[in-house]
Amino acid sequence: MPGPDEQLVYARWLDWGTRIGLGVLAAAFFAYAFALVEPAIPLQELAAVWSLPLERYLAITGAPTGWGWLVSIRKGESLCLLGIALLALVTVMCYLRNGISALGSGERLQAGIALVQVVVLLLAASGVLTGGH
Amino acid sequence: MEAAAAPWWIWPLVLFAVTFGLGIVAVLAGVGGGVLFVPIVGGFFPFHLDFVRGAGLLLALSGALAAGPGLLRGGLASLRLAMPLALVGSITSIGGALLGLALPVATVQTALGVTILAIAALMWGARKSEHPEVASPDALGTALRMHGVFHDPASGKDIEWKVHRTPAAFVAFAGIGVLAGMFGLGAGWANVPVFNLMMGVPLKLSVGTSGFLLSVVDTSAAWIYINRGAVLPMLVAPSIIGIMLGARIGVRLLRVAPAAMVRRLVIILLLVAGTRALLKGLGVWN
Repeated sequence: MPGPDEQLVYARWLDWGTRIGLGVLAAAFFAYAFALVEPAIPLQELAAVWSLPLERYLAITGAPTGWGWLVSIRKGESLCLLGIALLALVTVMCYLRNGISALGSGERLQAGIALVQVVVLLLAASGVLTGGH
Repeated sequence: MEAAAAPWWIWPLVLFAVTFGLGIVAVLAGVGGGVLFVPIVGGFFPFHLDFVRGAGLLLALSGALAAGPGLLRGGLASLRLAMPLALVGSITSIGGALLGLALPVATVQTALGVTILAIAALMWGARKSEHPEVASPDALGTALRMHGVFHDPASGKDIEWKVHRTPAAFVAFAGIGVLAGMFGLGAGWANVPVFNLMMGVPLKLSVGTSGFLLSVVDTSAAWIYINRGAVLPMLVAPSIIGIMLGARIGVRLLRVAPAAMVRRLVIILLLVAGTRALLKGLGVWN
């Protein structure tokens, strides 16, 4: 199980990952909101669709699902989603680092928990799990 | 204000202002922002509940990620305590997110209202135990090495801690995960009583470990919302920026603010927002 050293390493990875993710999100949103980059959905039209149920919103706007936003990475919304995705990947990286470290030091139970958690998070991130109204 | 008549940029601005205020209040009351954000924004803003829940999760996630390094470095959160329970919570939060996106919105709205009102009642009557007594640790907690020494910076004392009722805690965190994923709530309001009152973890360590654990549980549910396209940057980004800036002010006010009064204010906010969500879900007040 992780001792103080592992906890400090985890904290360091978490700190840097979060800084990068939040920095990218803030910069991307600034560019998006102030029309420095082109939006996929014109901002004037956004208010007409953000009150719709998800399925109708997707049907009307053609907004991407899964990792489809990577295709339109130059659009404002996709740049923001890049920042959001980075934030949602920070924990995966921290757990991966922790699991590998535990494996190296023979902490099998700790490594197992960390690596199963990585699999769960990657499964969630993969877009394989879907549902809908 | 008529939602359709207002220029689009009004709503992100109002959202920023409201989340800035929520950030202050959340820190002072010791709750995560998500539990206030989802019912308030879902009830009083024009955004659809699907997007509000996705934003609520990302809001709670960002706050947990930002707080995590400090909590871990300061020994206020325990990685070995959090990891096994976070694994269960993150699996069930995926199920909760899928369920929330599959159910009719009126059902989710009604269930959200009931849950928020229950949280308000829980906060009103919640007991706390600074240093709970654990006479004999259970086998599972011992096997998972859920024990340690917590240094309380306030008293300067080292407190040895261990846990009991670990199997029951796993079941509780499975349920908490479902609620977090389904409603986009951070669920710190539920984590802390489970750590503190059920497992016997010192209160401060419970609060800190709960804050860290959210970063794991909310990540898995957040991915479901991201992949389903239920994340609107125009809703998420101003909210995250607003609540984080507000939280910074909240931390500064922590020493001088009347904590009991702020806590009562949060309970009132939850009662109003919970009632609004319930009535909206039942079609009584749209």
